[in-house]
Amino acid sequence: MQEDKPVTISVKDLDLWYGATRALNKINLDIESRSITALIGPSGCGKSTFLRTLNRMNDLIDGVRIEGSVRYDGRDIYAPETDVIDLRKQVGMVFQKPNPFPMSVYDNIAYGPRVHGIQDRSVLDEIVERSLVQAALLEEVKDRLHKSALGLSGGQQQRLCIARVLAVEPDVVLMDEPTSALDPISTAKIETLLEDLKKRYTIIIVTHNMQQAGRVSDKAAFFLTGDLVEYSTTKDLFFNPKDERTENYISGRFG
Amino acid sequence: MNTRIQFMEEMTRLHHDILAMGTRVEEDLRRALEALRTGNLDLVQEVKAGDEVINALQIKIEDQTAVLIATQQPVARDLRELVTVFKVTDNLERIGDHAVHLAKTARRLAQEPYGQSLERLERMAELGCTMVRDAVTAFLNKDAPLAVSTAKRDDEIDEDHKAFVKEVLQFLAEHPDRAAQATKLIATSSFLERLGDHVTNLCEAVVFMVEGRHVELNE
Repeated sequence: MQEDKPVTISVKDLDLWYGATRALNKINLDIESRSITALIGPSGCGKSTFLRTLNRMNDLIDGVRIEGSVRYDGRDIYAPETDVIDLRKQVGMVFQKPNPFPMSVYDNIAYGPRVHGIQDRSVLDEIVERSLVQAALLEEVKDRLHKSALGLSGGQQQRLCIARVLAVEPDVVLMDEPTSALDPISTAKIETLLEDLKKRYTIIIVTHNMQQAGRVSDKAAFFLTGDLVEYSTTKDLFFNPKDERTENYISGRFG
Repeated sequence: MNTRIQFMEEMTRLHHDILAMGTRVEEDLRRALEALRTGNLDLVQEVKAGDEVINALQIKIEDQTAVLIATQQPVARDLRELVTVFKVTDNLERIGDHAVHLAKTARRLAQEPYGQSLERLERMAELGCTMVRDAVTAFLNKDAPLAVSTAKRDDEIDEDHKAFVKEVLQFLAEHPDRAAQATKLIATSSFLERLGDHVTNLCEAVVFMVEGRHVELNE
């Protein structure tokens, strides 16, 4: 039996509107530390919206209104005194399509640390190496660190994006369908990587791939039309879901 | 809207085969019982032929199930049902074997008249048939209460088994020259007792399939 882990992010009664449209309804959910939480549900269910509330990415969208609270490490991230830049350093994000900057592999990873004021070359070297090792990419790119990142394969680019997030030493990594644009081998590499990363980081992953959610996550949350329908251990959710709507969705009876 | 029509069709096909397997097991049990009662040796051959049909069905059903798991990636209730199929076929196949044992014993016993009443043995076999049918019905209808009540009837078989063994031992004490027949009768009774256990296993699997929890139905 798995013991309860400490809670890193605690969401209480979270509502979100896009203008007049309510996209999230009273979401209550605790994300456990050093674990992988999968968010699943059909398109438009609110899972990506929810993910983006966790590091305030929705702030960038006009007309978004949020009620309720999201506490990270005990502090309300929507409180006026929150430093959003610092929050996004702590809670990093990897997107669906790999989006390396048009610069070298090295500079991609050094970008964040440089923004945060690190200029010392030897320190940057260390960060780049550590990040590439953690992202399981170093062996493949060590001879081309100073060549353009755009020359990497899709799977390598996505691991580079993960390395770029890790370079600023986050605590939480949000992933929005990180393998949906990748082939099965690259996907498998990222899934293996996730297993390793969760020893150091808290990972929250949105995925449309049910098997992936089943394979990689410790807990899983099923969203439907803005509601959190069911949230439990992945084992229970996939083997013995409590809610009929979860059962129907995960077994492919709708969606 | 149901987006998994092909999967549902495959499941229906699987159910047909499981029903066919269950029916054949039940029929063979009845034939074996009849052979025991009447000494009709043609029935023994039929039971042996039936066992081959049962074994072939088991392989067919298990292969179909494995393919469904591999290609459809079932989860939740669907997965529990497909995992349960293996237990259903496994136990049905074993019950089929017991029918063969019963039939073979009938052939051996046909040489000499019975020294005692086979009433309890017949009742056990009769109840075994009913239990097999009900257990398969519980599986097909996903009926956990029926599975529970079916498994409960194993107690009746157990009681008859104990009582029958006692009767045979008593008879043996009085007729030591009939030892060969007596030991075969005890063995037959033991087969039927085991049969009840297999039905109980099957019923436990049905409860697991429906409710997602493991239960012990024979205490």
